[in-house]
Amino acid sequence: MKQSKTRNFCIIAHIDHGESTLADRLIELTGTMKSEKIGEQIMDSMDLERERGITIKAKAIRLLYKAKDDITYELNLIDTPGHVDFSYEVSRTLAACEGAILVIDATQGIQAQTISNVYFAMDHNLEVIPVINKIDLPNSEPERVLEEIESVLGYKSEEVLHISAKTGQGVSELLETIVNKIPPPKGDINLPLRALIFDSHYDSYMGVVAYISVTDGSIRKGDKLRLMGQGTELEVVSIGYFNPKFCPTDVLVAGDIGYIATGLKSVGECRVGDTVTSLIDGATEPLIGYKTAKPVVFTGIYTTQPEDHGQLREAIEKLSLNDASFSFEPENSPVLGNGFRCGFLGLLHMDIISERLEREFDLSLIVTVPGVKLIVTRTDGKQLMVVNPSDLPEPTEVQLIEEPWVKISVITPSSFIGPIMDLVTQSEGIYKHTEYIGQSHSPDTLGQRVRLEYEIPLRLMLTTFYDQLKSRSRGYASLDHEVVGYRETRLIKLDIMVNGVIVDAFSRVVPPDKAHEIGKSMVEKLKDVIPTQLFKVPLQASVGSRIVARADIAARRKDVLAKCYGGDITRKRKLLEKQKEGKKKMRNIGKVEVPKEAFMNVLKLEQ
Amino acid sequence: MLPVNRSMSDIIALYIHIPFCLRKCKYCSFISYRSRESDFPSYIKALKKELSLRACVCNIGSVYFGGGTPSLLSPEQLSEILSSVKKHYLVANNAEITIEANPGTVNAAYLAAIKKVGINRLSLGIQSFNDTELTMLGRIHNAAEARDAVADARSAGFDNLNVDLIYGLPGQTIEEWRDSLEEAIQLSPEHISQYALTLEPEEPLFKEIKAGKLPDISLDVTASQYQMAENILQNHGYIHYEISNWSKPGKECRHNLVYWQGAEYLGLGVAAHSYIERRRTGNTDDIDRYTASLSQNVLPLLIVDEKINFDLEIAESIILSLRLCRGINIKDFEKQFGIDIMKNYTKRIEELREYELIEFDEGYMRLTSKGRLLGNEVFWRFLPDRV
Repeated sequence: MKQSKTRNFCIIAHIDHGESTLADRLIELTGTMKSEKIGEQIMDSMDLERERGITIKAKAIRLLYKAKDDITYELNLIDTPGHVDFSYEVSRTLAACEGAILVIDATQGIQAQTISNVYFAMDHNLEVIPVINKIDLPNSEPERVLEEIESVLGYKSEEVLHISAKTGQGVSELLETIVNKIPPPKGDINLPLRALIFDSHYDSYMGVVAYISVTDGSIRKGDKLRLMGQGTELEVVSIGYFNPKFCPTDVLVAGDIGYIATGLKSVGECRVGDTVTSLIDGATEPLIGYKTAKPVVFTGIYTTQPEDHGQLREAIEKLSLNDASFSFEPENSPVLGNGFRCGFLGLLHMDIISERLEREFDLSLIVTVPGVKLIVTRTDGKQLMVVNPSDLPEPTEVQLIEEPWVKISVITPSSFIGPIMDLVTQSEGIYKHTEYIGQSHSPDTLGQRVRLEYEIPLRLMLTTFYDQLKSRSRGYASLDHEVVGYRETRLIKLDIMVNGVIVDAFSRVVPPDKAHEIGKSMVEKLKDVIPTQLFKVPLQASVGSRIVARADIAARRKDVLAKCYGGDITRKRKLLEKQKEGKKKMRNIGKVEVPKEAFMNVLKLEQ
Repeated sequence: MLPVNRSMSDIIALYIHIPFCLRKCKYCSFISYRSRESDFPSYIKALKKELSLRACVCNIGSVYFGGGTPSLLSPEQLSEILSSVKKHYLVANNAEITIEANPGTVNAAYLAAIKKVGINRLSLGIQSFNDTELTMLGRIHNAAEARDAVADARSAGFDNLNVDLIYGLPGQTIEEWRDSLEEAIQLSPEHISQYALTLEPEEPLFKEIKAGKLPDISLDVTASQYQMAENILQNHGYIHYEISNWSKPGKECRHNLVYWQGAEYLGLGVAAHSYIERRRTGNTDDIDRYTASLSQNVLPLLIVDEKINFDLEIAESIILSLRLCRGINIKDFEKQFGIDIMKNYTKRIEELREYELIEFDEGYMRLTSKGRLLGNEVFWRFLPDRV
């Protein structure tokens, strides 16, 4: 009976289409929190999330809504990450719900990543409520966007709501629609416990806190539980729901969304997607097939000052308690010393983790060129996984190399098809499919919108693919990708020497026929990002012992404060102190001071 | 507050900042205000108040009117300030009293008048003898006026004359720089200061370069210009005594030597800095706040107030003395601070010698010719690890 008045749902939206603003508005309109208390978008609480305008970690909130039928409903809103790197987390969130609000920006229309999330929701029989947001904006085109929704996703125009999350227009109707269209949870309180973990985080007081959606049965504090996928056993330390702060309660029953504090020490023991059941007389079938999200992007992380290595180790270990989706293994670089080879779900995930390491642990890091995991079969038949280019065996010992490929989906106005096609071809990609979206042309001359499908090696997505896609489509194209598997490839190792020393952190795997071109652009780029030194510095790109490109950094000839009087010696000294401080952000390689940015920037702006 | 009783043997330098200009130059980051002639009387009143509030029994070896454009003040106004200085301080008979002057603001009568009130050294901000360059810099004078100013100074009886020059301008060739320098030398000033143009982001010239209206400054050309100037000046009997300063024998600027020798100085006026008893202070850079507080008999707000501890004193002493071409006298340094430079900085000195940035000669450690162009690389290495 309580269950019949519960609605569990999430919001599917592309970055910046207004998910967080809508969440705030729902919170405000249901009276869960006064508008002035909401602050700015309460559901994104991590600083980084706010800064990047994206949601990284899913969270949930319980809203009490008195509908027009005078019944008070319990609405559980689960926040979902808005980026493809976290598509696994999104899929688990969707699996924890019966409905989803699909938010589409009236000024932009459907974006590539939105489609895969909608398809996933459909596959899981979620009731999807399509919503066109931002209709208050002068440049909004709700008619065109409506047509796209009809043609691509198959919804009828009368099903689609028009709202402005910012002004609140249409949000009351949306609340009624949530109550009327989204079915209540279907589980049975009398069956053995089954609850899905859709998120988790580590708390130093409570241990791992798992965010769960209870399908069958009930959970009380002190219950002994088991995770069906991982086999972890645990005891419930405390239990509650979200308001959006943690609100302790006595029991969570079928249909509830809430949290359990487990006392576990690491989120790795309590992963998203697993099903919780009772230790004794538990359920036999999990709610959803359990798997772990696998890292696909790998990079070396080092401290700029070798003596800070211990702090980095501690920081990584601490952060991993909270994020089970990145991997790390100690590695040793002849040039950079001790560090870690870390694996991430994608480039954004990599950026977030490295930024958090620097910000939360006050570290200065070198993050090396990101790469993929290669499967190498040696001539002796042995297979090995290579995530660090330096570990690639000599060409004579290699029988076969396989690398991951992705299927990408691009939505763009048709006038950019040509430039995007060129980009994909240059990126060693293959054309698969074209599909026109909607019938109408937008008022500008960019042509009808179209969805393009290609396949390219994931390796190519790790450099400038996205930036170039954006620039070639004047910002209009959106991109989605998923890994489709490993394919045979020909790759060799390209090294960069700085002042005669091979800097393994710059090494990459490249196709043999591109070695010269890539080597040249790398040394040219390094020439720009490495400041002049007190002596001339040769930069060379090499394959084995063969030099394929070279650029020289001329010696610095002048660096001295001109005037040093007027008595303002303090300011002059501060300038020198800044210069000295700057040296700490550099890594000394063969006497050359290399700024940490060089390690990442070497890949940027590459044509 | 400053102590009132000081030993009579202490000689300190007095700096007076005059923050007014007819127009701000396009490369200037000093504190100055445009066209505020009506503010002169109230500013002078405030200066006199500050002079009296900070009065001390100490010997003034030099007075320096810097700016801004101090030559915008009338001879009477300068006299009024100097009288106040003499009223509150002991000014040595042979004190060096310098004024910075813009060639576009002076004539023979004016120069004669300020000579009469006691100013005995004139520093002319000529910068260049090339009119195109002067326009680019936003100077108010041209080359002809600069030549006239030197002639007028001589006829007014100034026998201690400095000429300021700027090199390393956007697009300036080595030859163009040589022409300006040679013209300056022909006028036989006792002292030549030459500064490489250094721009800060807020300055108009910086913005013009960023906007592509002017070519980028080439540090390579600037370095060559400096080295050429070193040779030319030496050939004409000028002694290179500080990174940016040359003079005829015995005509070094005594006031500026005080800064480089780590001695004490008292700075008066808006944005002026002082260094007294190991404490460095800087007055507010807001002229209205400056005059307002002094009208209340209160010393102006300090925007810099720093205790110079032993480590910093040592670092600053090394950095400033290395700016002097003769360098640091290693024995004197040990006597003063009880520190053996060679032992204390062994590794750094080794590294710097390897890069040929410093050299040792007859008990002195000094910058090499290469090191004078790369001084910062030497200086930061002598900063204390933690401040």
